[in-house]
Amino acid sequence: MMGETEAVEIDDILDDWFIESLKSYKDLHVYQLEHPTQIIEWTSGKTVCVAGYSSGKNEILELRLPLRLLADEKKGLCAERDFKVVHGGFSEGPVCCLRHIPGTRCAVTNDGLTSDLQLWDLGADDTDVIRKTGSLPGTSVSQAGSRITARLSSPPQVLHGAQSSGVQLTQLSTGQTLYRLEVDSTKPLSSLKFVSETAFLASCCDGTVYLADTRTSAPPQASPPPGECALWWTDASAASQCRVIMLSSSGQAVVSDLRNLGGALCQAQLDVQTSPRKPEDVTVAWAPALDGCFSVSGLSGLVQIYDTARWRAELQDASPLFQHAGHSVSSQHGDGSAPIFITTHVWHPERPRTLLSAASDGSVHVWDWVDPQTN
Amino acid sequence: MPEIKVTPLGAGQDVGRSCILVSIGGKNIMLDCGMHMGYNDDRRFPDFSYITQNGRLTDFLDCVIISHFHLDHCGALPYMSEMVGYDGPIYMTHPTKAICPILLEDFRKITVDKKGETNFFTSQMIKDCMKKVIPLNLHQTVQVDDELEIKAYYAGHVLGAAMVHIKVGSESVVYTVSVNKFALCHSGAAWIDKCRPDILISESTYATTIRDSKRCRERDFLKKVHESIERGGKVLIPVFALGRAQELCILLETFWERMNLKAPIYFSTGLTEKANHYYKLFITWTNQKIRKTFVQRNMFEFKHIKAFDRSYADNPGPMVVFATPGMLHAGQSLQIFKKWAGNDKNMVIMPGYCVQGTIGHKILNGQRKLEMEGRSTLDVKLQVEYMSFSAHADAKGIMQLIRMAEPRNMLLVHGEAAKMEFLKGKIEQEFNCYMPANGETVALTTNPSVPVDISLNLLKREMTLGGPLPDPKKPRTMHGTLIMKENSLKLVSSEQALKELGLNEHQLRFTCRVQLQDPHSDSDTLHRIYTHLKSVLKDYTIQHLPDGTVMVESIVIKVSSSAEDANAKVLLLSWSYQDEDLGSYLSSLLKKGLPT
Repeated sequence: MMGETEAVEIDDILDDWFIESLKSYKDLHVYQLEHPTQIIEWTSGKTVCVAGYSSGKNEILELRLPLRLLADEKKGLCAERDFKVVHGGFSEGPVCCLRHIPGTRCAVTNDGLTSDLQLWDLGADDTDVIRKTGSLPGTSVSQAGSRITARLSSPPQVLHGAQSSGVQLTQLSTGQTLYRLEVDSTKPLSSLKFVSETAFLASCCDGTVYLADTRTSAPPQASPPPGECALWWTDASAASQCRVIMLSSSGQAVVSDLRNLGGALCQAQLDVQTSPRKPEDVTVAWAPALDGCFSVSGLSGLVQIYDTARWRAELQDASPLFQHAGHSVSSQHGDGSAPIFITTHVWHPERPRTLLSAASDGSVHVWDWVDPQTN
Repeated sequence: MPEIKVTPLGAGQDVGRSCILVSIGGKNIMLDCGMHMGYNDDRRFPDFSYITQNGRLTDFLDCVIISHFHLDHCGALPYMSEMVGYDGPIYMTHPTKAICPILLEDFRKITVDKKGETNFFTSQMIKDCMKKVIPLNLHQTVQVDDELEIKAYYAGHVLGAAMVHIKVGSESVVYTVSVNKFALCHSGAAWIDKCRPDILISESTYATTIRDSKRCRERDFLKKVHESIERGGKVLIPVFALGRAQELCILLETFWERMNLKAPIYFSTGLTEKANHYYKLFITWTNQKIRKTFVQRNMFEFKHIKAFDRSYADNPGPMVVFATPGMLHAGQSLQIFKKWAGNDKNMVIMPGYCVQGTIGHKILNGQRKLEMEGRSTLDVKLQVEYMSFSAHADAKGIMQLIRMAEPRNMLLVHGEAAKMEFLKGKIEQEFNCYMPANGETVALTTNPSVPVDISLNLLKREMTLGGPLPDPKKPRTMHGTLIMKENSLKLVSSEQALKELGLNEHQLRFTCRVQLQDPHSDSDTLHRIYTHLKSVLKDYTIQHLPDGTVMVESIVIKVSSSAEDANAKVLLLSWSYQDEDLGSYLSSLLKKGLPT
């Protein structure tokens, strides 16, 4: 009956963006977690994991997406708009990276301080507790955290490492190392991603990219950085063409084909509002169900979606197809405190325009945007 | 040890029919008396046989407190008071008292008239039950009797919802169904801060949800209305007289103004009068936005919203209409629904839960063909939208409440045990947490503080004994006499106590004779005793007095020759009660004889 009252000031600021959002989003959900998260990881088509990254004890939560979002034809009859915490657990340290192992109820985390991994059981229907089941030692003595990736395999395996020299494929149940990336350099990694059942990309922060295969001990293909820049991020699309996008901290975005990493197919200069300084600052991701589209967060306070369809080989300015300004507009922080930044974002694996984004103020948004070109 | 006992009779590890029994300081209180909306038989009522197997509950309960008007919290009240039997006081806030009978009557009508049930309370029973209600004002202490005190606080969940603080002596329990963020930030919420009740009882139903923002719910509502209007459709919003109607009106009015929309918005008159009346009564219970609107102008003097006339329903073109009743089970909203249902451009937005048996419930379950009176069928072609605006707390809100209140123990009701382990674990990191099932009693020992006055003399005496200064964090043992007179407790010195009680002090002395084989003279033996004791009892004051005695502290030792045996001595030991231990020790020691 009677509703709660939120601060009047925030209501006013929201107005313009809020009114616009009626047309620009099909669905929009805004949540406030108790603690901010640096990770959003799909554990099924309907559930994601989030986790805290403070220095002490942190919670790991598995959240079920609001039923109304997923309801499609029956949407009107479903009033359920809230996230449901289906499973929860406690980590003794920060969670900076979390990967779900496909085909299992297992997740692997890293605390961003060492290259060791923690193993977790996300829990089944009869319980709501996420339990730690063990740990795997990493190889590097580095100060940075590990990147982690996995694909469906039997028995379950995980590919991980903090540096190019320390990348290994480990069998979860035995802890046995099945494969090691043989490179001499010890460059810090910005990402690891499988591009097929056995081939993977190990992308370094300096822009070097290794394409390797876990079946062979032959040295990997190395591709040098596309340009002069301190930090680079990479993503490979799952699509048949397998495009690779590389983004630099100065905003240069280069698209190439996996079979010819050195040759740029097209590129563009993106606008950079806030210069990223650390590898965790930026997330770049191809849209799983929208050909040629990718998203980026960390270059400004927004999540931006670009369409590479009209990009050319020569470097030109590009403007985003869509921008999600929700986090900066509805920021809970007043003046004087540090501006909020987007910690991570992900695309829904099947729904073409649905994304989840998280920010440093603990906000998590779930949004389904409308392509402005179709209006 | 004193205990507080809590037994859920419904909503133990179960959602629906909230009813919790609390035994505190010898008083028995029933918190809420709800109906389980999912059952059609006796399972919908809480199981009162836990209180007594034989009938009336009056002698077993000191009072009943109802937190708010939702049927799963008050739906079984007339059944309990009139069919099972209870004549004691029933406490609830003014708005709850005003709204309960309306909802109970509506519910009774639907259950009996539409569904044809028989074992149900009657209209008269609802009236008789409400006669037993004593309304509560916010922040006002109510003495249920000499020892039991209750106080209601703003909870913000729904109109009239209250958190209740129950106190007997220095033991207390706080009960809250759900509390929203506003209530916690509200200036009137200062009381919760560190109130440290022995037990905080709260629902856990929503503790595992993370709520979507209010703005997004409003956005969805406006989007749906706007889309319908744009395609020329009509939007029906069935509401309760005291429902979200007013807030939604303000929202639409602002939106219409902003977007420069022309389509008419109507508000059915029945709603206007009733709502106006209730809002005037309960202005302190409404939120800021509504209060501002109400104070600035008459509630329903909107620019874009006009009073409805039934003939308008046939007007062509887009429009929005708010009409009662909320579940489409009768009256104007149903009439309009019948007219508009056949057009797929139209829309009905249901802003709340609908009871089983109503048309609202049917269409929300996807039914597209409805049987109406006279065997006619209604084809439902319009768009049906279910929207939830309820202002309950979520995971974050509940943790906030617990951390503010700092209870000694936390008790959760209204959740499924297996799915609450994480929440329980989370709370247990900071507080004790219990989740009893229906019929399961949780007994919690309390540590009530007992205030005692201490006499100045006694305090001074303790100070002269030295040692550290009195410190509230460091307990200190002391001796005194406790006098309990009427309701006061006093700690005084024993002399003062004897004086006050007019008693004489008696001294108790023990005497003991010890035989000792010793050929020496009396004085030599005494001297040997003196030397022996001096070497054994190094920390004690031992004196050899000129009158022929040895004194150890206050114990007197005399030596005399034995009358029967020339080589034996008889030692006479004498001590007062206070030196009992030392005296016994000395007599045992001397019985062993003296070293040579």
